[in-house]
Amino acid sequence: MPKFPGIKGIFLDEDPLIRQSSKGVKGISIPGCGLKKSGLKKDESAYINAKYIRKNSPKLPEVSEPTVVRHFTRLSSWNMCVDSVFYPLGSCTMKYNPKINEKIASLENIKNLHPLMPVFSIQPVLKIVHDFNKVLCEFTGLAEFSFAPQAGAAGEFSGLKIIKKYFDLKGEHRKMILVPDSSHGTNPASSVLAGFTPVEIKTGKAGMLDAGELEKFISKDIAGIMITNPNTFGVFEKDIKKIAEIMHQNGSFVYMDGANFNAFLGSAKVSDMGIDLIQLNLHKTFSTPHGGGGPGSGAIGVVESLRDFLPVPYVKSSGEDDNNGNDAITITAMAINNSNDNKNKNCCRTFYELAEDKKYTIGRMAPFLCNFAVVIRAYAYLLSLGRDNIGSVSEIAVLNANYIKKKLGVILSGSDPFEEGFCMHECVFNDKGIEENGISTLELAKLLIDYGFHPPTVYFPKNIHGAIMIEPTETESIRTLDNFIKAVKEIRFKTKKSKAIKSPQRTKVGRVNEVLANKQPVFRY
Amino acid sequence: MNNFRYFQNSKRDISKLYRILGVKDKKELFGKIIGDIPLIKESRLQTLTEEMDEGALYSFFLNIDSIIPAKNKTAVFAGGGIYNHFVPAVIDSLISRSEFYTPYTPYQPEVSQGTLFALFEFQSMTAEILGMDVVNASMYDGAESLAEAVLMAMRLSGANRDVLDHSGGLILISEGINPNYVSVIKTFIGDTGVKIDTVKLDGKTGQTDAADLKSKIESGGRVLAAVVQQPNYFGVIEDLEELEPIIHYNSHSDFSASHFSDQDNRNNRNSEPFFVVSSTEPYAFGVINPPGFYNADIFAGEGNSFGNYMNFGGPLLGLFAAKKEYVRQMPGRIVGKTKDDKNRDAYAFILSTREQHIRRGAATSNICTNSSLNAVRAAIYLSLCSKSGFKEIASLNLKLAHILRDKLLSGGIFEPSYLGDFFNEFSMKIKKNKNNITAVKFIEEMAKKGILAGIAISESGILISATENSSLSNIEKYVENAKEVLYA
Repeated sequence: MPKFPGIKGIFLDEDPLIRQSSKGVKGISIPGCGLKKSGLKKDESAYINAKYIRKNSPKLPEVSEPTVVRHFTRLSSWNMCVDSVFYPLGSCTMKYNPKINEKIASLENIKNLHPLMPVFSIQPVLKIVHDFNKVLCEFTGLAEFSFAPQAGAAGEFSGLKIIKKYFDLKGEHRKMILVPDSSHGTNPASSVLAGFTPVEIKTGKAGMLDAGELEKFISKDIAGIMITNPNTFGVFEKDIKKIAEIMHQNGSFVYMDGANFNAFLGSAKVSDMGIDLIQLNLHKTFSTPHGGGGPGSGAIGVVESLRDFLPVPYVKSSGEDDNNGNDAITITAMAINNSNDNKNKNCCRTFYELAEDKKYTIGRMAPFLCNFAVVIRAYAYLLSLGRDNIGSVSEIAVLNANYIKKKLGVILSGSDPFEEGFCMHECVFNDKGIEENGISTLELAKLLIDYGFHPPTVYFPKNIHGAIMIEPTETESIRTLDNFIKAVKEIRFKTKKSKAIKSPQRTKVGRVNEVLANKQPVFRY
Repeated sequence: MNNFRYFQNSKRDISKLYRILGVKDKKELFGKIIGDIPLIKESRLQTLTEEMDEGALYSFFLNIDSIIPAKNKTAVFAGGGIYNHFVPAVIDSLISRSEFYTPYTPYQPEVSQGTLFALFEFQSMTAEILGMDVVNASMYDGAESLAEAVLMAMRLSGANRDVLDHSGGLILISEGINPNYVSVIKTFIGDTGVKIDTVKLDGKTGQTDAADLKSKIESGGRVLAAVVQQPNYFGVIEDLEELEPIIHYNSHSDFSASHFSDQDNRNNRNSEPFFVVSSTEPYAFGVINPPGFYNADIFAGEGNSFGNYMNFGGPLLGLFAAKKEYVRQMPGRIVGKTKDDKNRDAYAFILSTREQHIRRGAATSNICTNSSLNAVRAAIYLSLCSKSGFKEIASLNLKLAHILRDKLLSGGIFEPSYLGDFFNEFSMKIKKNKNNITAVKFIEEMAKKGILAGIAISESGILISATENSSLSNIEKYVENAKEVLYA
């Protein structure tokens, strides 16, 4: 076992496919469709007016199947990923993505299902969405979720829209949303998109919002607060109940950015903290792959009084709950075997449909129900863990983060802004320690790459100087964490500036010139 | 504490961690952090069962999968924003590489060149297909993308949201836009001062009515954008050549601007509406002229047809493109080509000062996570298609849809809704039949026979689509069963 995973390797270079083209070559099999070539009128103008017809075909590459396979395989080898390296990107919860979930989401009929199939034929699919909703409600203590939002930011937007609509209907024109200065950039951006003015509140010294400070901002203009808990320092907002009380007394809502929900999964309910709305990033807490930037799912959950505002469509169930799932399967099986509809409905207790009858709905967020392929992976993840293991997720995530906090706190002495007490699922350091060795946060990030680690989130939150934000997740071992800590230690005490400015050196490309990229932008080949 | 297989730390490791941190157990640890917030009692959880072993879990979903009437059990002739295209095995094989699907957004370009390069190729190939200057690295889906396009047109019109709240402004939306897309636009801008007005379709052709568009643009209100879909929701190919000069009235000398003479800023580009084109089926641009050909300012639509499964409606692939002079107002990530410190080609996200993680409240959009993996799928798919395959498959769509429509018409059971040209989707009306069957009922009955016959769009109207996945034998099966359902 080498000291660090990053040692050496070979990188295979690769041209854009457009430069590997040979005229007339293609890499796809054209379906025969049972057509006889002679039977087809050849020219498109036999079907549509010639003035619409495109004369120059788009200049796509002209390459064979093996060329495409080698090309993208080589490209893939230039990425670091969760499956190959420790990827402690703070606030992103880069946990292991279980392989069985990939296999389930790739089941032939599920992935080929058109979203507008008649509902009687897809009862078990609707049941998955329905049941997963119930699980999320129990884990958060909220009343109902909608899976319409496609990612975290869309979840925030839908939640804020709900708040906006609530006040519009009440005839109150509350224009402001309070947002801590340490919040994710999406929070103020979503507030503006939803028609609010975000108002920044300063975080207190201990990394927490202070209820006393909050009170200064309270007025009838305040529609709500967007609070990340644990916040982006990984610190639990100790005043959360007090904050919620102040907001509620003012008739305002408490929206929780659930990007960091991994700290609570199976351990604590946000309803006990006074939260009214939360978005859950299924691609973070619920193990679905991040896909190199997406897709995700940002399910939005609300308290009872806001249920009627949720986006549409949603899965509506009638009749009693069907716990073992047999009804859903029976209805669908019988329907497909062409028996009478009414009989089906009568013999089974539960029937699921896609409904739009939410009285005050904010409307649609997406063309169809949800990012189903993400939802099904997340649901499979929960079923795998079961109630016996679910609480260990947040427990081990918090243990691992505190282990890093403690060990690095010693190595980067004086760099932990919140030395007192425990963090939750992630910890944050400033650049004081590494600066003593002349190393900047950016250089630390690039140096870590050569050791074989993906860098942590850097320069966020903004109010920590040269922030280094580390989220190990529950799926990493002490051994890996020790290895990472050792690398940081070497950088802190041994690495020379001359090496730091040249790093990374073991990657496909060296330090990327982002100034040039922005000065003379090239968007396409 | 169990040793579940996703956790690397053993029970001993966990004990060690507690020892090092100086706390006894979870109760004490969480107590010190979250105070009096109660801990969940796992054994009391009602909605979750005990852990399922991998075999049982797979069987559970396999059972569901075996019941659902998709793939080999149902011939899909429904589109309506998502189309049943063939997905080559190469895509699943390549995309199952962890290096593509397990990283996140390429914040560190040196260790993300694979994703960045693939996205750059995605941007390049889709820009070619759309005939547009710049395509971004993806949005969520066509509907959200179009809503963002409308917001961008509002920004480009020089009016920020506060101003628009007071002064108003108008977005003209063709009746030929997918109704779900219109709903999403309303969710985004419904409570601003900007109003939405609908431009009607010509009752005969099903194309956006040019005269209605013209009169609405000239009616006096400030029109910020005019939005059309190509081909439109009913499958009809729009005559963008006719519509464009009506929208870009200042740029065309043959247009009489007399009506606008009272406006000081008539020569200002900003007083002219932005021409926004959408599409749910950009495969059409393998056969028909793309939006860029007709001088579209912004394109926003759905790219799921390129190498992605239907997945019961998501995730999808939002395409977003614009003329390059508007790039700084675009939402979403954009990959650019640059150099590294040794002057080698390298790729990175560019113009990120538009984005929320830098600009916060002043960002062009709140989007962060997008549909990156779907975009990489599209890049692989379009590479496989290559220049000739893309055109060939597009052409096959066109022909099969026409064969299906001809057969349905000659069967005497349907009549056309519109006479305009179409690509791979068209709308029909069920003729009065002896069983008095409505469109909804027809689709339900056909589904029982293993055919998703389309989407009901009115009492008797159906939207039907054919793709390269629609074999001649399935087309014949459709026609035979339709006769049986309506007349047996």
